[in-house]
Amino acid sequence: MVLAAVDPSSTDITPLIQHPVLWALAAGVFAVVILQSVIYFKAIRKAAPAVGLTPAQVTSSVRSGAVAAVGPSLAVALVAISLLPLFGTPAVLTRIGLVGSAAFDVAAAGISAGTQGAQLGGPTYTQKIFALAFAAMTIGGLAWMLSALILTPILSKGDAKLRKVNPAVMAIVPTAALLGAFFTLAFSEVVKSPVHLVTMIASAAAMGVCILLAHRLRRPWLREWGLGIAILVALAAAYFMTAA
Amino acid sequence: MSTTTSTNTSAGLAAFDRTTSIWGPITLALGLLISLAAALYAAFGSGVGITPVELVTAVVAVLATFGIIAIIEPISYFPILGRSAMYQAFLIGNIANKLLPAAVVAQANLGERPGTRRAELIAGSAIIGAVLIHITTLILLVGVLGTWLVGTLPAPLIATARAYILPAVFGAVVLQSVMAMRNRRVTIVAVIVAAVIVFVVVPLAPALTFYATALAVIITIAASWFTRSKTPPASAAVAPDEAATGDAAPAAQITEPTR
Repeated sequence: MVLAAVDPSSTDITPLIQHPVLWALAAGVFAVVILQSVIYFKAIRKAAPAVGLTPAQVTSSVRSGAVAAVGPSLAVALVAISLLPLFGTPAVLTRIGLVGSAAFDVAAAGISAGTQGAQLGGPTYTQKIFALAFAAMTIGGLAWMLSALILTPILSKGDAKLRKVNPAVMAIVPTAALLGAFFTLAFSEVVKSPVHLVTMIASAAAMGVCILLAHRLRRPWLREWGLGIAILVALAAAYFMTAA
Repeated sequence: MSTTTSTNTSAGLAAFDRTTSIWGPITLALGLLISLAAALYAAFGSGVGITPVELVTAVVAVLATFGIIAIIEPISYFPILGRSAMYQAFLIGNIANKLLPAAVVAQANLGERPGTRRAELIAGSAIIGAVLIHITTLILLVGVLGTWLVGTLPAPLIATARAYILPAVFGAVVLQSVMAMRNRRVTIVAVIVAAVIVFVVVPLAPALTFYATALAVIITIAASWFTRSKTPPASAAVAPDEAATGDAAPAAQITEPTR
């Protein structure tokens, strides 16, 4: 009966973004992460004495990791909640929460919607566009997993060659790729409407304030929270502009 | 005595290496397959009528933009994470903003520096702790509370959040990337290339719209390469891309907790 609600051209994307199959697969990803953690924890506890780690030190390392993750996890949760209306709970939990990240997945979704001449979130954001964006950002994200799977054994065996890749290449290529991609994506939003332009400026300004205050007041958590705060500020600005 | 110890050491680590070199790839591959199943179901199983050509076009556009980062990132994280933790990190995600700080804090607490076997086990333990917290907050705050909250918000608010989320994300991410990379030359090149593509090339040749971002990436890389400073950079730190996988400046995030 849920399947009956799927309608490719409908802009009511709720039936698809909260689809039970997507929920089940999201639960599957969580289960794999938990399984891996259990296997690793057992293996680490067993091997710990061999490198001079006491069981208490292993426990304390788990605790330090947990404490260090509280801030970043809450910051990620805030960003994730702001993306729920767009992608729905299962997609956000797996793509933004685990595996992927807000910046990559939103960018990938925007790019894929563009191949259909559609825009995320607007009147052209149908169930079909969501499905295509979700599929493309997920498959795009697999590239990271695949390259980690392939490169890790190579790097740990004879990593000398790969690690001696010209440092200039390692410094310039990712920087150029990232900045080229995000500036293009940003400029493409700017030309859509004046509201888009102001929303983007509000977002960048809020982020700038967060980075500045983090530096001035020595509050590194502010930088961590920057993206979440900037999204809220920018969306509030967009809301007041469109409501007015 | 010392030989016994070293035998125990290598035997203990050999067991660890065996377990993680089998189960690390298996769990990562499992995560990959489930994600792939979700993607294929959304595209072909849900009845929205996406054709294979449409999906391939979208995926190619995404990979043309980010594929090179996906290859370079594992190389730049490997020295810090070590082999076993690589399989954890690339399954869990949020590496630069969450996992690396957690690992580095735990290593610093026990007076260990990255690169040793002891540090590798500490990093693995810290990542497990980080995962516990992360999964709990995701399920409770996003899965339960967030879904309820979004359900209660008035429709116009949700419509605004949907319509303007892209500029709201990209404005912050652009600034964050510029600040994290700290490379004025590449930043200037990227701004010029992106501006020419979006404001000049695409309006003149609308057919290029699909691949505008990928085109900008390739041209920015090439232009940055040919205009690079030939003197060795002072900040030699290889900046692992974090805007794509994490949300914050890696260098700052890695070093701050240890200070």
